[in-house]
Parts: sequence; structure tokens; C-alpha cells
Amino acid sequence: MNAATEAGLDDLVKLDLKVLASSDSAAAPEEFIPVFHRWITERVLPELLIDVADYSHVHEGPGVLLVGHDAIYAYDQSLGEPGLLYSRRRETSPETAGIRTLDQRLESLLLCAFRACDRIEAEPRLDGRVTFDRHRIELRVNDRLVARDDDTVAALESAFSRALSAAGVGNGRGSVALERIGKARERLTFRTA
Amino acid sequence: MSQPTANGTAPWAARLEDRIPPHLDEQIEIYETQIAQKRQGKIDDKVFAETRLRRGVYGQRYDNGQRHDGIASRALEYPCGDLTKGPNTVWDAPGMLRIKIPFGAMNGEQMEVLADLAEEYSDGIAHVTTRQDIQLHFIHIDDTPDIMRRLAAVDITTQEACGNSVRNVTACPMAGVCRDEPFDVSPYAHALTHFLLGHKDAQDFGRKFKIAFSGCEQHACGLANMHDLGVVAQVREAGNGTSSGTERGFRVYVGGGLGAVPHQAKVLREFVREDELLPLAQAVCRVFGRLGEKRNRARARVKFLVAKLGIEEFTRLVDEELAILPADERWTTYLDDLSVTDEEPTRPAAALSPGPRPEGFAEWLGSNVQRQRQPGYVAVAINLPLGDLTSTQLRALADTARRYNGGHVRNTVEQNIVLRNISEADLPALYAELRAVGLGAPGASSLVDVTACPGTDTCKLGISSSRGLAAELRKRIAASIKTTGVLADEAVKDLRIKVSGCFNSCGQHHVADIGFYGVSRKSDGRTVPHFQVILGGQWTENAGSYGLAVVAVPAKRIPEAVERIAGLYVAEREKGESFQSFIARVGKARVRQLLDDLTKLPTYLEDRTLYSDWGDPREYTIGDLGVGECAGEVVTAVEFGLSAAEREVFQGLLELDRGAAEAAAEKAYAAMLQAARALITTENIDIGTAPEEIVGEFRTRFYDTELFFDPYAGAKFANYLFRVHGDAETDSGEEAHRRIEEAQLFIEAAHACNQRISQAQVAGTLRRAV
Repeated sequence: MNAATEAGLDDLVKLDLKVLASSDSAAAPEEFIPVFHRWITERVLPELLIDVADYSHVHEGPGVLLVGHDAIYAYDQSLGEPGLLYSRRRETSPETAGIRTLDQRLESLLLCAFRACDRIEAEPRLDGRVTFDRHRIELRVNDRLVARDDDTVAALESAFSRALSAAGVGNGRGSVALERIGKARERLTFRTA
Repeated sequence: MSQPTANGTAPWAARLEDRIPPHLDEQIEIYETQIAQKRQGKIDDKVFAETRLRRGVYGQRYDNGQRHDGIASRALEYPCGDLTKGPNTVWDAPGMLRIKIPFGAMNGEQMEVLADLAEEYSDGIAHVTTRQDIQLHFIHIDDTPDIMRRLAAVDITTQEACGNSVRNVTACPMAGVCRDEPFDVSPYAHALTHFLLGHKDAQDFGRKFKIAFSGCEQHACGLANMHDLGVVAQVREAGNGTSSGTERGFRVYVGGGLGAVPHQAKVLREFVREDELLPLAQAVCRVFGRLGEKRNRARARVKFLVAKLGIEEFTRLVDEELAILPADERWTTYLDDLSVTDEEPTRPAAALSPGPRPEGFAEWLGSNVQRQRQPGYVAVAINLPLGDLTSTQLRALADTARRYNGGHVRNTVEQNIVLRNISEADLPALYAELRAVGLGAPGASSLVDVTACPGTDTCKLGISSSRGLAAELRKRIAASIKTTGVLADEAVKDLRIKVSGCFNSCGQHHVADIGFYGVSRKSDGRTVPHFQVILGGQWTENAGSYGLAVVAVPAKRIPEAVERIAGLYVAEREKGESFQSFIARVGKARVRQLLDDLTKLPTYLEDRTLYSDWGDPREYTIGDLGVGECAGEVVTAVEFGLSAAEREVFQGLLELDRGAAEAAAEKAYAAMLQAARALITTENIDIGTAPEEIVGEFRTRFYDTELFFDPYAGAKFANYLFRVHGDAETDSGEEAHRRIEEAQLFIEAAHACNQRISQAQVAGTLRRAV
């Protein structure tokens, strides 16, 4: 049994993954509105996509959202750092329904987020103006039932580091260094160092 | 039934056990049981819809499993299959949760919990509504019990936030600090909120019932004139001149409302003393519950009842009810502690000292800051774009509020937030803090501060994109102000623009200076989003008058229409002439003529942009319109009572499953009593809860009269109750099993009896018991 399983983290579904946009990216959040509408119409992702929500008027907010049943995708503006946010809520799609462990889940999260990044980078309407830095990634634990004792935090950090490494982040050699960010009352958040 | 735990920790129900008030805990438990019942097909769709609505759990656009993508309507294949949470409402479809914030008052801890919930279950946005509520969108129904628990732990409820119930009680956000009010209405709004929450006399309405408090007559404040019950603070000489001093009271209005057909409220009482307010509201609820329309929801608000009866007759009926109301100590006990809602300043009063100011401070000071009655203190409005703020902003606001006023804020009906009791000397530092988190925008309660309902973004009734238009207007007006365009003129600075996505007026377009509501028009064989332009409304004097539609303009041309109307006013107004007076003088025909060319549409091929809505690239359609849930489902009190009995017997089943025979038998007995009591309420609303009383009344009214008798089985089912009443206790598993079965049959018989009574009432053949 690995540390994450031991810490009871295999049931932890609500996780956010943010892949930061490259510093030279130049697109307004509103430009994602037609993009995300087309994704729904053309069913470009293997999951149920429902609606688009525009919060581009909000300061450092979630920007423009693509709301799915299992997850929300957003061109997020939080902390003034644009990036692709993938926020998983449920696991009912054929692709995720079989997930049983935190390791599998983190692998799946990275897959889903990177797939969305690929699509955005190739999006004709955006004309190559948005690219992502796949080495600058943030994981937020979106569930305040999770304990914050040292063992739990270490198990999460270790699992995330392994998943990143397996996904080729940090050149895929060895563990990826992470740092904890945010205040104590905020969601437990790790970012690649 | 709580959510599975992450990390092996206790679920929210267990973690918050000691923090949830018992009355809220019980409601949430009931709701969670109903969710389980619905999943097992053991509760009617309509009943479940109304019960979730009464807990603030609302549907959203596309929850019927269909979405038009601009080309065709396509199925959204939710994983729940055919499980529904109401008629044509798919279980798995995201929904909205409306959270009641009485008179808009929130403290720091509450703001932090709302921020957490917005992140974990919603989209990271808390939305302030035009009724001072907070709404979260894209919520899954399975998450709602835990959300409710976390709210209840900080003394917030969603109970009766939607449905045919008493909605959030609103009040002037300046209550307690206003320079014009005779006294603070906050404790009275607080008392009436808690008095009517779950009150038996407020459970059998045909539609919703909205109450507002105002500290004065002259300002917009509580908008008393547009409410089902409007309460305006008054003082008068005390005791017929026999004693000295003044006494507090209220002028009470009834029968106001916006909606498709707005009504100005009528004065129900010129003056009621403070100790008379709660019984008066209760009596009004009784009259509305008893005589209000139930079948035709389009005419079921109290405004229609007042119009139908006339205010004199309505008043007489209220007086009659008042005369027979059983006394209730809660009518006056709250008067012993009116300080319950007080928010005392935590920083010393001090004048704004000279010195360097942050960028933009002067403009913000001029538009967002208002002096209070208390010398040295001011109220600061936070201008929220479209009523939205992020979890990060909400947390930062909690911190800021704690630093400067002890952690208190008030939501406003203009979808903003007000910080009160701010020392003037703190303003530059406060502004800098707010600005750092994007909450320092100037222009609160001015032209740029456009109000909008959710419209087509999330509402099933939305016809046009009210939020899309409002966002565009905000941008244009802000740009015009920067470039000193016509919208920067001092004359139009304080005009109010309000936008609704349909005629139902959730954006309060009738009381705006310039209002809009969404409509559609056909052109070139296609449907085009439009907005009706509403002029002549009055925001001040508690929504003193309602505007009227002038002309429908394509949605994409509304910004141009606003510029033209504002330009006309700037150019032709007389000195000191208000916008309402100006419109009355120049006439609506003149305005219509001014906008006439905007109504002419090019063909689709000439300009496709007009054939889509603001913020939505899809070709416009009204194919996504659904059946709204604003009205709720009309479910009578007896149906609710019977549903509660079903829930009780369901819990008995669960007890039986776990081998607790005695508890199962108790539940079966309690279920029969509940069903019997539900029937009795059709004849005696004041029936108590003592088993002896219920069984006695049931025997007199439904057994002796044979009303409960089954056409074939006769008295059989009634005798189940009498038998178990005489011998309630058992620890035999077999006996408990039998009693569960009998209870289920008794409830079925009660349903059948209720149907027979309803049919007989319609046919006019009912033989009354007593």
C-alpha cells in the first residue's frame, strides 16, 4: 500500500490542475467564448460538455469557463497568471470511471489538462497566440475534508511529484520539486518549484 | 447518506454536528432523506421539485437535457439516465443554489464559508442578487446537503429561498447608519425573517411572497412599493397624547410587485406599532394562503388578490384573521433585544486627513462613499460587476471588513456590497486594499453600475442575454466616461440602468430610469434577440413609479439606444428637470422616433452579428427556453404533509432493515399521525402535534363523517391508526413489519381521501364534517 492510499487519499476526486500560460501568450479571455462553444458543438472532448460561462468582467477571476458534467475547463486569470484550469468534480465518463487510486487520478488529470492545452494551442481562432508552459503547473486540493497533517501533505506532494515526472514534466528524470503556496485557510496548493 | 469521505476524515455532517442549529439540522436531514427517496422512485416528481425549490435548489438552463448550439437542438446525455429532480429536470444537470442572506447582512466567517463553497462546489464565483441573496451556479444536487450543512454551521439557511414561500426579507443596506431614517429597521427584518421561516401559515401559498423593509419613504432603500409586503419605518407621538415621547411603528404596504404586470402596493396600515408588526404579517399570510389563487400561477401573487378584493376588503379580512390569531409570544419577545443586529464601529471616528492619495481615490470617494448618521463614519459601496465576485475577493473582503469595521458587510439590491461604520480617516488605506483585489472600482449606484438578472446565461426563462448586454454597457459607459463622451455628462451620471432577460422583471427593469427586458422578433426568416426599452420608472421613493415599454430594439443596438436617449436628455432637459419629468414632457413618441431607425434590421447576409446575442456566438434561438421554476410547483400543504409522512415511513423501513424493530414501529406510527394531521389541516390549520389530539380530530372529521372511508375497504385503513394508537410500542420484528405496511396503506388512503375531497370541492358537493 502506498502512502497516498494509506492516508486515505484515493477517494479524493475534487482536484484542480492549472497549467500556466507562457509569458508571451496574448489572448483576452473573451476570445475563448467561441472556442469553447465550438468544442461543445463538435464534441471535441470525450466527456459531456454543457455550457460556457463568461466571467471575464471579474478581476483575476476564472475568465471564461467550459462547464462539463465531470469537470470545468477555464482560461483562468487567478493571481493575474493566465492558464488552463482543469477542475475535476466527478468521474463518470468512460475515460475516468475506472479510476481507483490517487496516482491514477493525477495521471488522468494531467492527461486531460494537457489535452486541452494542446487543443487551445492548435486553435485556429487563437492563431498561436496562447501557448502553455507545461513545466509550470499547480495542483489545488478542492476539498476541505482533507486533513493537513504532515503525513497527508507529504503523501500528496509525493504522489503529485511522481505523476509530473511520469508525464515528462521536469524532463521526466527523477522527482519534480514542488512548493506549497497560499495561506493556511486557502485550499492546499502545490506548484512546481 | 453523507458524501463519501476523502482522507478517511469524518464527513461534513459529523464534523459540524455541534455547530448546526437543531432546527436547520432537522431540515437538512429531511431533505437528504427526500433525495434518497427520489433516487428510489419513492417520491413524486412534482413534490420533490417543490421541496428542493423551498430549500433554494433551483434548476438551470439546459437541465431538460437539451441544448441548442445555434444549428440544432442536441441532447445532453447526462450519466443519470432518466432520473429526474422535477418535471423535465434531469438529475445530473447543473443547478443553482440560492442562499438567503436576510437584509443582506454577512459577517467575516460567513463570507469565508461562502468563498470555500463557491470554489469547491461551484465555479469560484459568488453572485449577489437583486434580493440581497448569494447565488452559486453549476451545483450538483448531490452536493447540496453538505453545502447546506456548511452554511448552517455559520447560521445561514437556504430554506424557503425559492418556491412558493416567503423569500429573503430585504432591507435598506444603510439601515442603522442612514441619516434620514427614524430608526434602524434591521432587528425587525431579522425578527420577521425568523418568525415566518417555516411558519405553518406561510406554507400554503400559490406563489412566492416577498417582504422588504425601508427606513424612509423618500429614497429607494427597500423598494417597499414593489413588494408583496412593504414595511416603512415611522414614529409618532406616543399614547394618544397621554404620555410623552414617541413610539416606533411602520407604515405597511401590501400587494406591490413587478413581474410581467407590475402593481404599486396599497397602504394596508398607516401605522402599526412595533409590537403589532409580526401578527399583522402573519394575518396577511393567512389571508393569502387561504384565498390566494392556487391553480393559475400567473395570477397567484398577492397583488392579484388585493386587486381582486380591493384594499378595503383585503384589510377587513386581515383584521378578521388578526382577531382570531392564537397569541404567540414570539410577536414581542424579540423587542427585548433589538441590539441583536447592531454593528458597532471598531475604529475611532476621525476625519479624513490631508495627504497623498492613491490613484483614483478622489473619483471613488465621490461615487462610492456616503456619510453616515454617526459623525466621522462613512458607508463604502463596492461596485461589483454584474454582482459577481471571486472566492479570493470574498476572502479578502472578509479580512478587510474585520480590519476596518469588525467584519460586517451588507449586500444591496443593486448587486453591490456595502461596508459600513468605516472611519473617514481609514478611507485611503481601505481604498488601497480594495483596489488591490479589484474591488475598488468607482461608480457604485451610478449609470455604469448596471444591474442584470442571470438571463440566458443560466435562467431557463431567459429570452435575451441580460448579463451580456449589461457587461457591454458597463464597458461602453466606462469608455465614454474616460473620453468625456455623452455618458460622462453630470446630468446622466446618477441614472440607473437595469436589465432583465425576460418580462419577469428579476432585473427590476420597471423601476430603472432606463430599463430593458428581453424579447425576440422574427426577421428574414430568423429569430433576432431584442430588448424592450422601458422608460419612466422611478428608483427613488421606494420605487415610486413603474416605467412602460417604448419600443423593442435589437440587442446589439441597445448601447447605441442608450447613448441616444442620454444625449437627448443632456441636450434638451430644462434646468433641474429629472429624467422622469423629462421623459414625461418630451413624450415616449419622441423617444420612439429617436430610436426608430435602430429597429430596422438588415438581412442575415448583410449583417449576421445582429442575429446573435451579446457574449454568445451561437446563432440566436429561443429553442432553449424551458419551464421556469421561479413560480415553483403548486403543492398544497396537505400534499407536503403526506410527503413528510412518506418520508417518515421510509425512515422506518431503514430502521427495520437494520433490525431496529422498536424504532421502525415508532416511525410507522409517527407516519400515520403525520398523514392524519395533514388531512386535518385542510379543516383546522391550528391542529397541534399531540397524538391524542390528532387521533381525536381525525375520528371526528374523517372517520365519523366517513370521509376517509375507502369506497371498497370502508373503515379498514382508518382502523390501522386507531389500533396502533392504542398499542404503540412493540419490539417484535414481525409486528414492526406489519405496521410499516399498514402505515404505507394508511398514507395511500390519505392521498385518496385528499383527492376525493378536492374533487368534491370542485364539484361543490363536499359535506363538511363540522
